Amino acid sequence: MDEPRAIRLVETVLRCYPARWRLRHGDEAAELAALLIRDGTPAGSIAWSYLAGAAREWLTPRPGRRLRTVACALLVAACSLGVSAGLLAPAAPARAASPGRARASAPCRPGPPAPVPGVIPAMGHPQVISWEARHGRSC
Amino acid sequence: MAVGRRDDRAGPDVLRRVGEASVLLLISLAGGPKHGYALIRDIKELAGVELGPGTLYGALDRLERLGLIESLPADDRRHPYRITAPGAAALRVHLDSLERLSAAGRLRLQLGGT
Repeated sequence: MDEPRAIRLVETVLRCYPARWRLRHGDEAAELAALLIRDGTPAGSIAWSYLAGAAREWLTPRPGRRLRTVACALLVAACSLGVSAGLLAPAAPARAASPGRARASAPCRPGPPAPVPGVIPAMGHPQVISWEARHGRSC
Repeated sequence: MAVGRRDDRAGPDVLRRVGEASVLLLISLAGGPKHGYALIRDIKELAGVELGPGTLYGALDRLERLGLIESLPADDRRHPYRITAPGAAALRVHLDSLERLSAAGRLRLQLGGT
């Protein structure tokens, strides 16, 4: 990666930090990244380090951020509950409906077993015996 | 001996839980004020550890919040940092504790004949 592109990548990652952090360290952090890139440090590793630092910065509890953190945590919990409910909702009626539909299409018929396709009679006995054929019913 | 308790004859070791990066930064700053780039270079020479810039600023903020270092007026865009008197005291306590631990470890290695 050429130097201007590497610096742009790092500057993009630096925008992930909270505004308070950017105000205090932003310029210095960009300059430090430029110096490290010039020294031969891969831009990817610098960007990754800043990205991890930004995540830590957001996740570290601060006195003023407590209310916002709680609100965010509640929002995330509500969203994940909503997603789980959304994923389960279409699956449950489908599961409930499928056995009923199967029963309606193939009613239980007592009596002699129906001829089973694929059974090859040999020496008077079928070589392949299906469960239905053995038990004399089809459900 | 209770787990998690220790003998703090020289005062509590506040650096026990701050992480290796913070200790390395304090050791580097004990040699004089430095800015971010100089800290990274010095720690690499001193300990062979390449500190990531994200880790660096996280550790500097933590040490500053604890009052163990302070930021000096910026020259150009760089903020030099300086170790404070409580920072120097905390580093001394931590290094003493490491020294005791190291001595105990060496003694056990000799006794065990390993």
